[in-house]
Amino acid sequence: MNDLSIAWVTAPFFLGFLIFLVPKLDRVLALLGALVSCSYAVWVFLQPSPIDLQLLDRFGVTLTIDALSGYFILTNALVTAAVIFYCWQTDKTAFFYAQTIIIHGSINAAFASTDFISLYVALEVSGIAAFLLIAYPRSDRSIWVGLRYLCVSNVAMLFYLVGAVLVYQATHSFNFAGLDAAPPEAIALIFMGLLVKGGIFVSGLWLPLTHSESEAPVSALLSGVVVKAGVYPLVRCALMVEEVNPIVRLFGVGTALLGVFYAVFEKDTKRMLAFHTISQLGFILAAPVVGGFYALTHGLVKSALFLISSKLPSRNFKELQKQPISTPIWIALVIASFSISGFPMLAGFGAKVLTTKNLLPWQVIGMNVAALGTAISFAKFIFLPHQRSEPRDNPSTMRGFWLAMVVLLGGLIAANSVYYQAYTLKNIIKPLVTIGLGWLAYWFIFKRVTVKFPRAIERFDHLVGVMSLMSIVLFWLVLT
Amino acid sequence: MFLEACVLATTLCGFFGIVLKKNLVMKIVAMDVMSTGVIAYYVLIASRDGLFTPILDGDQTVAYADPVPQAVILTAIVIGFSIQALMLVAVMKLSRDNPTLESHEIEKNNTP
Repeated sequence: MNDLSIAWVTAPFFLGFLIFLVPKLDRVLALLGALVSCSYAVWVFLQPSPIDLQLLDRFGVTLTIDALSGYFILTNALVTAAVIFYCWQTDKTAFFYAQTIIIHGSINAAFASTDFISLYVALEVSGIAAFLLIAYPRSDRSIWVGLRYLCVSNVAMLFYLVGAVLVYQATHSFNFAGLDAAPPEAIALIFMGLLVKGGIFVSGLWLPLTHSESEAPVSALLSGVVVKAGVYPLVRCALMVEEVNPIVRLFGVGTALLGVFYAVFEKDTKRMLAFHTISQLGFILAAPVVGGFYALTHGLVKSALFLISSKLPSRNFKELQKQPISTPIWIALVIASFSISGFPMLAGFGAKVLTTKNLLPWQVIGMNVAALGTAISFAKFIFLPHQRSEPRDNPSTMRGFWLAMVVLLGGLIAANSVYYQAYTLKNIIKPLVTIGLGWLAYWFIFKRVTVKFPRAIERFDHLVGVMSLMSIVLFWLVLT
Repeated sequence: MFLEACVLATTLCGFFGIVLKKNLVMKIVAMDVMSTGVIAYYVLIASRDGLFTPILDGDQTVAYADPVPQAVILTAIVIGFSIQALMLVAVMKLSRDNPTLESHEIEKNNTP
C-alpha cells in the first residue's frame, strides 16, 4: 500500500524525464501519467481508512492521503488529461508535455504531503514548471508575466520558510500538526506564503494578469489545479488545527466577495474567469470540511471555460455580443456556466449545497452575495448570441477540443452522483432564485454600466509590498 | 539575540530591495540577499544546542548542531539558486528589447 503511494508520487516525474529521452512518445507518456493519477484517486476513494506514511523519523517526510486529497488528485488528473487532449493536434513540442506532466506530479505531491518542507519543495517545483509553461511562447509579454509570477511566488515562499523553521523550533518537527504549538508569527508567515501561492484575497491579485495572459491550455492548468496546490494546505491545516479554522473561513468569505466584485464588472472574458477563480477559491476555504468536492467541480468547470474562451472570436464581451458564436461551442459554454452558477443536474449544484450546509452562521450572508455575483458574471456568457456555423479552426484541433470537453463536462455530470442527497425541493428552489435574481440584475444593471477599476494594485511593486501588510494583518488575526 | 536581529535585518533589507530597486537585475540580487537571510536563520536555529558538526564519532559528550534544519535548508538553497538562474535567463531575454531593464518600463510595455 505504501509502495503504491510512493510509486504514484514519483511516476509523473519519471515520465517527465522519459519524455525528454523519447520525445516521439510525448503525448502518450503525459496522458499515461494523468491516467495513473486518475486510477490512484479512484483507489483512494475505495480505501476504508486514510493512508498515512511516515518516511524516516518524526522529522522526515509525512504523507497523508484521504478522501479530501482524493478529490484534489482527481481534479488534477482530469484537468491534465483534458489539457493534453486539447493540445494533441497542435504543434506543441515535447518540452511542453514534459513540463505539463512535471507540474502534474509536483501538484500531486503537494496534495499528499502533510509536512511543511515536502510542501515547500512541491510548491517550488510547481512554480518553476508553471513559469516555463507561461513563458512557452517566448514573447516578451509571456516572459514578463512568467517572471512576475515566479518572483512573487518565490518571495512568498521565503517568508514561508521562515515560518516553517519557527514551527520546527517549537515542536522539533515540520508536521502540519505542529502549527498548534507554534508561535503566532510562525502561523502568520506560513499563511502569508500559502495565501500568495493560492491566490487568496488581496495577496492573490497577481493571478488575474497571469491567468488571462497565458495561452488557453496553460490558463486552464493554472486556474484548474496549480492555485489549488496553495489552497489545499490551508484546508488541511484548518482541519488539523482547530485554532486556525476561523482564520481560514474568514479568508474564504473575504476572497469570495473580493473576486466576485471584480468579476461582475470585468469586460474581458479571460480576466473575468481569472477573477472568478479567486472568488471560487474563497468558496473552497469557506467550508474546509467539504472543500475537496468544491475544488473538483471548480477545477473541471474553470479549465473547460478557459479552453472554450480560446475558441470564441473575441476576448471582449462588447464585441462578442455583436459576433454570434457557433451553437455547439455555445452549448458547452452554457453547460459550464450553469454548473458554476449552481444549477441543478450538474455537479456545481451539489457542491454549492454541500458548502452552504457547512457554513457557520456569520458566513452565510457573504457567501450568498458571492453566489449571486457568480450568477451575474456568468449571465454574460449565457446570453451571448449564437448561430449555426462552422467553427473557424481546422477539424483536427477541434476534435481534441471536444475530447477535452467530454472529459471535463462529462466529469461534471458524473460527479453529480457523489452528493445526490442534495436533491430536495428546498435545495433546488434556492439556486434557481439566486440565478433568476442574478440574471435580472445582469439585464437591468450590469449590462449597461461600465466601470473600469485602476490596475495599480496589480503592479509588481505593490504585489510584493502587499505581502508585508498581509503578514501584519495575519499576525493580529492569529493573536486575537 | 544580536545574531537574530542581524539575520532579520538582512531579510528585511532584501525584501525592501525587491520593492524599492528599479532595475530588474537589482531586484533579483535583492531577492538573493533575502534568501541569504533566511538561510542564515536556519543555520542559527540549527546551532542553538551546539556548534559541532553532527558526525557520530564515539565521543558523544560534545554539543552537536541540529542536522535537520541544515539538511532542509540545503534543499532550499538548491531550489533558490535554480530559480535565480531561471530568472536571470528571462531577464537576459527581456534585455534585448528593454536594454535599461527598468521594471516600470517593462511592466508598462507588457501589460494590456
